Amino acid sequence: MMRFRLEKRPEPSKLMLYGTPVAAVVLTMILGCLLFSAIGYNGLRAVQEIFFTPLTNPYKWQDLGIKAAPLIIIGTGLSVAYRANVWNIGAEGQYIIGALAATGVALFTWGMSGWWILPLMAIAGMVGGMAYASIPAFLKTRLNVNEILTSLMLTYASVQVIYYLIRGPWKDPMGIGFPQSRLFSEAARLPNIIPGTIVHLGVPIAVIVALIAWFVMSKTVFGYRMRVVGAAPHAARYGGFSENKTIWLAMLVSGGLAGLAGMLEVAGPFQRMVPGFPTNYGFTAIIVAFLGRLNPLGVIVAGVVLAITFVGGQVAQTTIGLPDEATGIFQAMMLFLLLAGDILVRYRIRRISPEASAGAA
Amino acid sequence: MDLTIAILVTVVGASTPILIAALGELVVERSGVLNLGVEGMMLLGAIAGFVVQFHTGNHYLALICGAGAGMAASLIFGFLTLSLSANQTATGLALTIFGTGFSALAGASYSARPVSLMSPIFPELAAHPVLRVLFGYSFPAYFAIFMVFAIWFFLKKTRAGLILRAVGENDLSAHSIGYSVVKVRYFAVMFGGAMAGIAGACFPLTLTPQWAEGMTAGRGWIAVALVVFASWRPFRLLGGAYLFGLVMTMELYAKAGGGPLSAIPSELWAALPYIATIVVLVLISLRRDASTNAPACLGKPFMPSN
Repeated sequence: MMRFRLEKRPEPSKLMLYGTPVAAVVLTMILGCLLFSAIGYNGLRAVQEIFFTPLTNPYKWQDLGIKAAPLIIIGTGLSVAYRANVWNIGAEGQYIIGALAATGVALFTWGMSGWWILPLMAIAGMVGGMAYASIPAFLKTRLNVNEILTSLMLTYASVQVIYYLIRGPWKDPMGIGFPQSRLFSEAARLPNIIPGTIVHLGVPIAVIVALIAWFVMSKTVFGYRMRVVGAAPHAARYGGFSENKTIWLAMLVSGGLAGLAGMLEVAGPFQRMVPGFPTNYGFTAIIVAFLGRLNPLGVIVAGVVLAITFVGGQVAQTTIGLPDEATGIFQAMMLFLLLAGDILVRYRIRRISPEASAGAA
Repeated sequence: MDLTIAILVTVVGASTPILIAALGELVVERSGVLNLGVEGMMLLGAIAGFVVQFHTGNHYLALICGAGAGMAASLIFGFLTLSLSANQTATGLALTIFGTGFSALAGASYSARPVSLMSPIFPELAAHPVLRVLFGYSFPAYFAIFMVFAIWFFLKKTRAGLILRAVGENDLSAHSIGYSVVKVRYFAVMFGGAMAGIAGACFPLTLTPQWAEGMTAGRGWIAVALVVFASWRPFRLLGGAYLFGLVMTMELYAKAGGGPLSAIPSELWAALPYIATIVVLVLISLRRDASTNAPACLGKPFMPSN
């Protein structure tokens, strides 16, 4: 019988670091095909529609762009935070509060026109997201309260803030009783950048945000500091890097970017606040950050991959009747397989020859 | 009086699933493992319990299958974090995302189909206007209280409990005396999964007799927070869970009582359990012995040098 054992690598393998995410996606397709075949769907078609149709059908490319944009922006922020070992998992809440802050500006300036309205909304969105993220940051740095639980609880609370505002003070006077805000004025809607499509300004902004983050994280002292605090907190303390300051920065960057994504989403595809605004981009972006190896360039690729599964999930829903929820299963499987593959970054598999293992036993 | 009794009965009902899930997580964390997938395992337990009850009509079989679903899901977590030493935080999150998606898929064709709730185990006493506070519940409420005692006894008085705590406090020492750290943690994680599954099954079987996507609504996360609140002690968990049950049912009380409280918007009531969780975590952190009770190896992967 052949036997294997794990052997620690002297240093993490670069090949495995970037190879395992690709392997995770490929394995997800294989396992997903088997899983969906087992529960009575056409597994092969499901994988084809979810992973390939969005790429081969040019009409779907614009959908990919607008789905990937918020994932890339939020995922970039989260990758900065997770690098520093700050577990902000409430990006969905910061995204919602950012969108609400932007909605507030849009409603306040309703009927006005001017180039300054959109930038003001963007600032409001970022400030809203930062403010919401500063609650877990404050509690973590001052009282050492676990940021995972606080940021997540705030997400559940933020959904109720939407409901309250659009059923009450922000309710559309012309909405015939529908709980939603009024449609934003022209000046508060994101312009389309490619005429005849739905591709809005948020798409290039997402790429620019990720590129800036990549530059800052890999080429500046700030980025170095965030990485050191995350990788070796003790060494960082000797080096004079304050842990609390890093937690604050990580929370503000990830919260601010989530808020910006919220603003772009409400001013772009939605153009008003509705009860169905929370679409779990903030949670999916967690997968994007990990699949992108907490590297903003990787996040761009991972954001597109996850956007493919969203768009493909909708395709599969109409063509083969696969329920919408299948998308979430594919996404979770991807993360499982990626985490399982992590061991190959730090360890290598060695075959043990029968004589050696007999000797050892 | 009648209203007070009615409220107490509702509080116990609402607290029970949180208490069961939190008890499971407490054992998991005492062994040094942080499983953040409680919410996902609860949803899987909820859909499994619902489907079994819908097709067989047997509540107890439904609870058992709920436990099985939670345990199966916990094995994925166990394999990744214990056998492959993957990051526990990220794996727990992945489990929750998976459980949310899988339960929604499995339950897609069952929405708006009613099942029957479990009936009280003492039907005569449950009809009594006062005694129903003590005897008006179905099986899970008593199971939860029994498990508080059982887990306390297990951790404090048995050899196996001592080993489990040793593994959570100092995995390397436990390993060097010859205990299998990974095996102990697998058992703990599976127990936590089964408890989360039962807790999830309680939602369609004892609270709202139907399946709804994401019906546990973050209660799994509140259970995780409760374990911190209880400083990893079973009896404090009992008090904490009932306190949360009170917070969650306060809206009914306020609405029924009239007065100024009934003017509070319902959205604030809906947000209250989550805000209360944060407040509770803050209060706990102010206590001097706050972090000293946490198992020393909590959340750290076990990596023996050889």
